[in-house]
Amino acid sequence: MDFILHDKETITEMLTSIGINSLEELFQDIPADLLLKKLNLPHGLSEPDLLRRLEELSRKNKIYSSSFLGAGCYYHYIPSLVDFVINLSGFYTAYTPYQAEASQGYLQAIYEYQTAITRLTQMDVANASMYDGSTALAEAAIMATVAAKKKKIILLEGIHPEYVEVVKTYCWGQDIHFEVVMEDALISKLDESVAAVLFQSPNFFGGIENITELVQKIRDKAPKCLIIQVMTDPTCLGVLKPPGKSDIDIFVAEGQSFGISPSFGGPGLGIFASKQKYLRKMPGRLIGKTNEINGEREGFILTLQTREQHIRREKATSNICTNQALCALASLIYLVSLGKTGLQEIALQNFQKSHYVKQKLATIPGYQILNKKPTYNEFLVKCPNVHELIEQCKQENLLPPLMISKYFPDMKDIILVCVTESNSREDIEKFIHAAEKASNKNIGGN
Amino acid sequence: MTSNLTLIFNKGTKRSQHNFIPEMDIDKVDLLEIIPSFFQREDLPLPDIPEVEIVRHYTELSRRNYGIDSGIYPLGSCTMKYNPKINEVIARLPAFSQIHPLQEENQGALELMHHLSEMLREITGMDGFTFQPAAGAHGELTGILIMKKYFENKNLKKNKILVPDSAHGTNPSSAKMAGFSIIEVRSNDMGEVPLDHIEFAMQQGDVAGIMLTNPNTLGIFDRQIKDITNIIHKYGGLCYYDGANLNPMLGICRPKDMGFDIVHLNLHKTFSTPHGGGGPGSGPVGVTKELISYLPDPSIIATEQGFVCREKTNNSIGRIKCFWGNFGVIIRAYAYILALGAEGLKRVGQISVLNANYLRVFLKEKYHLPYDRICQHEFVLSDRGIENNVTTEDIAKRILDYGLYAPTIYFPLIVKGAMMIEPTETESKASLDNFIDVMNNIYNEAKTNPELLKNAPLNTPVKRLDAVLAARNPILKE
Repeated sequence: MDFILHDKETITEMLTSIGINSLEELFQDIPADLLLKKLNLPHGLSEPDLLRRLEELSRKNKIYSSSFLGAGCYYHYIPSLVDFVINLSGFYTAYTPYQAEASQGYLQAIYEYQTAITRLTQMDVANASMYDGSTALAEAAIMATVAAKKKKIILLEGIHPEYVEVVKTYCWGQDIHFEVVMEDALISKLDESVAAVLFQSPNFFGGIENITELVQKIRDKAPKCLIIQVMTDPTCLGVLKPPGKSDIDIFVAEGQSFGISPSFGGPGLGIFASKQKYLRKMPGRLIGKTNEINGEREGFILTLQTREQHIRREKATSNICTNQALCALASLIYLVSLGKTGLQEIALQNFQKSHYVKQKLATIPGYQILNKKPTYNEFLVKCPNVHELIEQCKQENLLPPLMISKYFPDMKDIILVCVTESNSREDIEKFIHAAEKASNKNIGGN
Repeated sequence: MTSNLTLIFNKGTKRSQHNFIPEMDIDKVDLLEIIPSFFQREDLPLPDIPEVEIVRHYTELSRRNYGIDSGIYPLGSCTMKYNPKINEVIARLPAFSQIHPLQEENQGALELMHHLSEMLREITGMDGFTFQPAAGAHGELTGILIMKKYFENKNLKKNKILVPDSAHGTNPSSAKMAGFSIIEVRSNDMGEVPLDHIEFAMQQGDVAGIMLTNPNTLGIFDRQIKDITNIIHKYGGLCYYDGANLNPMLGICRPKDMGFDIVHLNLHKTFSTPHGGGGPGSGPVGVTKELISYLPDPSIIATEQGFVCREKTNNSIGRIKCFWGNFGVIIRAYAYILALGAEGLKRVGQISVLNANYLRVFLKEKYHLPYDRICQHEFVLSDRGIENNVTTEDIAKRILDYGLYAPTIYFPLIVKGAMMIEPTETESKASLDNFIDVMNNIYNEAKTNPELLKNAPLNTPVKRLDAVLAARNPILKE
């Protein structure tokens, strides 16, 4: 199938009217030896055949009845109206709103998104989105080095390992010195040369930092150093103190939890917010409110574009052009659908349910909870028999927790468990049961 | 001053609903046992709005927004083609949309990416692909980092890069993000890259290579492309192909055959995935055999036991994004290529060029066409000769009054008052004729009623907005 509207006669008519003899002649500028003889691809498919083929392929992936896996990608219930809204033609078939007057709908929606993010985070300004949490963090690091005019950053242990790798790649590109330090070594590493400290909270292992204390320690030692916080599941902000109330300079997050399906890890949403004083150093698009030139009405428009690549080229704050607009829209719809009450309740359920599982696991012989800090919906557990637990979960049709050795090969027999509001009591009981069976088997085996 | 449409935050009615929260089915403990009070927030200034109000609000907003489903969207270099609806269904199949990036039973997803990679290799001629980059500019950064690593490994100090003045703005800024300084190459009168400039620059010894888009932003295929890439290679440099303009080349000519070493594609342009109002996109990067080991970690390889993920290679530039890339976008592009097949893709290339030339020939009767020769997918007009000081912006705003979307304006920078027009292959002759009529009407209006253009648009939800005010006094939230 294709989506071309001309029949043969129309093509001939159009060619004739512009004085061209054949479709081939349109490519007269291309040297003959560069013209492709044949494209070796299969014939096209009709819609039903295509759908059947892709359905078959999708069945080679497994979907589970419930998930205990998080680690940067989370299962939360998505209200039906989220997908309904992002599927409206006026939104999903548009592009970057260069012509503001014909794009007021999207511009207003993204202005509302910026507003929702600043209210949620209590940061001064939020941009229109970045690709994902990991690239948002890398861009935040670069922005901090520009703002501080220093080429060194420090990452606190506990940032998602894939985010660390992305930051490392970006830093290498710009010759930014990069170091990952343990929490107790942080202060001794801080000096005048450090542009920024990056930390994740709740961190990769689930622990929630005492941010007030951490920020104070950094400010005392290096007052000019920027502090960047990242999080991978911002639903916790329904309960937790927002970064804007903890004197954070730049806040970034993966916004997938806000109404975006896991989809094998992408597309997600890079949430990016900062203090007002860094506004002109910010990467990405910004939507502003303005007035008609010759009128009374207010409207919305892309603004502060002199930071951007299409105007400033190599002097731009970032190379980002296409961002994740539709995902930003999805997250806006999610946030307004849940509202204050809903978001608080979701965060509470995540706290309560994961706490419940934590307590239960701790009572089973061989299991040990490793977190010393408070946790949100993820926590670290040492297991008597990791592989048996994974197997038991799969038998119960549960997506098993992460074996942390994937990222930290030395940390054997340790899992990262994620429990959200999407896990029903029944799912939770199945998981506990799987853990018990794995424990029994291990003891029996010994 | 009244806002013409209430913001969602002011819509809250007294009654809040909790439709989206599952019933709490376990025994709760006191929250303070889990998290101390000084870790908790005091207030959450989000409204509680009933579902009906939200749906009506955003349905109304969507009506105030032009999309491809509204009509022609001739935004040059953006390839605004029709987005097939079946792709939305496929991307939402639960066994695609509900899978976790770290789950083990993922053979369908890996097979899809592996097969798409094979098909993109055939389309471009390249030897290996990564799907990690989330957009075109992200692909550019990936490609340029590959160049950087390649020369680092060879212990060669090459810190400059050639970028023609006809390139997309992302090219120089991506190169800068990889630590390169930019040498801008001025196009000649024919809109092509002068060989002697390239040769001279390469002789200096510190130039890593060139970033090119071909056809370029004037829509012109550089006839000396093979000479350009040969010169770069002669001095040990690498050639980067910006695939933003690949659409007219489908089934016609391949970047590898032009002599390119690295290419990024924009799945949201060439392969019909929705632009989504500015994303998400996907910017896969393809390379020649010599550079495969430089691609970002991890890579997917086919083995007898199935598809596996190889975590790290020695030369790799590292990771450029968390997880696998924008998989939801990748699925749609895969479905599109399977649907069209070899014949369909070639037809896309041919008809996109036919449509552009049809507009070019009829529009140049009235409008100034600075580079007057056959074009590929797009061409650039200017406002030279338009009477009564009517500018490109005025023309663009007047197009909106006719219920259409405007071309890309004031880009490329090498044409003063540029209007860059790319109709794509999914416009009918009637739609193209209508666009020509509208442009001709506007040309006449500029003569007879210039105030109409200077005050345009009048038929849109708001009249022309004050961009200067917005930038001088940024209001970015409520």
